[in-house]
Amino acid sequence: MRIGEIVETMSTGFVAESFELNRPPPLGGLVVVRLPGAEASAGMDVYAVVTYGQTGGLDPSRRAVRRSTDTVFDGAIYQEHPELTRTLRTEFGAALVGFAVDDQLRQHLPPQPPPLHFSVQTAPAGELQRFTDHLQYLRLLLAPYGQVSPLQVLAANVREVYQHRGQDDVWLSAAAREIATLLKNDHESLLTVLYAIDPGQVPPSVERGQVPPSAREGAPA
Amino acid sequence: MSQRSLGLVVDGTFSGGLTVRLNADTSTEQLRIGNFVVVEGERNRYFSLISDIHLKATDPRLLADPPRDTSLFVARTLAGTSTYATAEVQPMLMLEKVDESEPRDFLEERSGPQPVRTIPMHFAELREATELDFATVFGSEGGANFAMGTPLAMDIPICLQLDRFVERSNGIFGQSGTGKSFLARLIISGVVKTKVAVNLIFDMHDEYSFDKETEDGHWVKGLRQIFGSQVLIYSLDERMARRAGRNVDVTLKIGLNQIEEADIVLLSEELNLRQTAEATIGLLRDSFRDKWLLKLLQMNGEELNNFCQASGAHPASMAALQRNLKRLSRQEYVVDEAPFSTLDDMVEALDRGKHVILQFGRHNTVLDYVLVSNLVTRRVRQRYEDKTRRYEETQSVADKPRQLMITIEEAHKFLNPNVAGQTTFGTIAREMRKYNVTLLVIDQRPSGIDDEVMSQLGTRVSGKLTEQRDIEAVLTGVSNRSALRGALASLDTRQQILIMGHAVPMPIMMRTRQYDESFYRAMGARVGVPRDAEVDIRDLFGDD
Repeated sequence: MRIGEIVETMSTGFVAESFELNRPPPLGGLVVVRLPGAEASAGMDVYAVVTYGQTGGLDPSRRAVRRSTDTVFDGAIYQEHPELTRTLRTEFGAALVGFAVDDQLRQHLPPQPPPLHFSVQTAPAGELQRFTDHLQYLRLLLAPYGQVSPLQVLAANVREVYQHRGQDDVWLSAAAREIATLLKNDHESLLTVLYAIDPGQVPPSVERGQVPPSAREGAPA
Repeated sequence: MSQRSLGLVVDGTFSGGLTVRLNADTSTEQLRIGNFVVVEGERNRYFSLISDIHLKATDPRLLADPPRDTSLFVARTLAGTSTYATAEVQPMLMLEKVDESEPRDFLEERSGPQPVRTIPMHFAELREATELDFATVFGSEGGANFAMGTPLAMDIPICLQLDRFVERSNGIFGQSGTGKSFLARLIISGVVKTKVAVNLIFDMHDEYSFDKETEDGHWVKGLRQIFGSQVLIYSLDERMARRAGRNVDVTLKIGLNQIEEADIVLLSEELNLRQTAEATIGLLRDSFRDKWLLKLLQMNGEELNNFCQASGAHPASMAALQRNLKRLSRQEYVVDEAPFSTLDDMVEALDRGKHVILQFGRHNTVLDYVLVSNLVTRRVRQRYEDKTRRYEETQSVADKPRQLMITIEEAHKFLNPNVAGQTTFGTIAREMRKYNVTLLVIDQRPSGIDDEVMSQLGTRVSGKLTEQRDIEAVLTGVSNRSALRGALASLDTRQQILIMGHAVPMPIMMRTRQYDESFYRAMGARVGVPRDAEVDIRDLFGDD
């Protein structure tokens, strides 16, 4: 599903304008930009993780003004002022975490940034599953990008993927251990991420990499 | 058993051993100090012991502020990543790997495990030892290889090379109650079975010949019952000879003429002798030769004075010596004069391949034990020296003296630093290997034994020891002590031992084999009469 269009792009990530006002993709969500292949070369799918969302006026020098009255507030404001959908825009940033060429999945920065004005799509469940089966991409998320703390982006991504993989506890504990390895010299940061991705009660059967039969139930095939 | 990986080598030195980062799923509680493990190098396989285990953390801040009321998820993630464990591993032997792709030539003799000359590179894998590894290092049962027990967590035999074992003096150590005499019975049974040597056993507590009740209350067979007439029983106690079903072959008498100065000096403490005694005995010996003790004990006051005036001995010390030595003549087994023929016959019996147990019966004080063992051993030693000389002259195989292993308990009485220089046992421990006589020393306080003797011991078999000095003593002259020190202290009190030295390729902890019906059968015993009947009869009619 197309959700936005790239309006700023660079080697480490891009900024896209969301098609829906106030509805950027979830923080940490996996998005994909599909590039068609040239004559000889195959197409490329560039994957990115959403690092922030932001809504403001078209003119960045002008701050939005108050619109609510005693009777018209919240969602009603947008019905009262339909021009807002034209004067406001929602942007989101995404950090590049990998790409796929010829079915070959790579988890590092692509050789070129995705071109401007191309579409951004949410990654379908199967692709998400395939991409997140490998965890090297997590280290790319630790590079500062955008305004949100990389630790929070990392945690948000893990939570997102965990949900999209059907609460895959085995994957979660593998990802947590990968993060623990990445942040081995920074215990406080590690705890920040771990507390943020703690799903609460882990079934006791998910211990040390054993795959319980129930953990994969509900996960997309 | 599958080859379970435990971790990867990350650090190490040749002299200090290897450091292995344990896998996240390897719990330190699964490992044990002294465990036999294998490091898979690129070209060699290293058979090693775990010498130490460390707990570590990647970030020191974690140690200062451990997560307390944290969720299970966080704790489980930290374990094995931010917090981890390393093991210190000491390679003991290495074996060159064969190229699996080439067809193995089964006729070609493969060289066995070699001493360690290299260490593996980074990230070599540490894994649990498999049955094949144990078999590669410790060989299989048969020939002179005698199964002593099994690894702690496995059920395959670990063998002692008894032919190498009897080449040198050996020791069995362990705290009281760790089954030393049981171990000795096991080893001696092996020696009898494999015929690598003949045994002379000084059996102070009557443990080796006949049925004996163990500490957990069942009866085990003695060597005579297992091996029948291959074992001769000598006894000091006449009453023993009359016990039903426990016949004694020879009742031994000791003559005053056989007792020498050295025997008396060894007993200084028991007999309460003074420093001057040695000099006084010297004077007596000059005058009376081998009848000195008999003469001394027969002297009345007047004769004593005359002798003192003639020889220059001090009258008071003469009188004291006489008083103290009278205790010897009061022993039931001591007679005025006894021929050496009984002892010489014993040596001949040994030479014919019989095994001799000398029982002390009621005469089981330290005085009896030290006096008789030292005296008998001295005679045996003289005979063996003669035999060896004859063999050197004739160089005929028929004259070659049989390898003899002498078993002594309470060994520190003979081998403590004060007397080890003088006793026959001290001499045997140090140099009698040349004359085909070795010792099997059994003691619970190895620290009481002379260092020089300890360092000469070929193979040491030890049960649990906790006293630091005893542990140090057992490890005298052993390389890689640190790994073994921890292992010694961590043994169970029952049935667990550490063997190191000449008769095993590398030190190993093991569970000793059961001393039961199946063992008797393996030793070739005639287990015809069911033992229950014997027990019933004894219960009904009492002993004797």
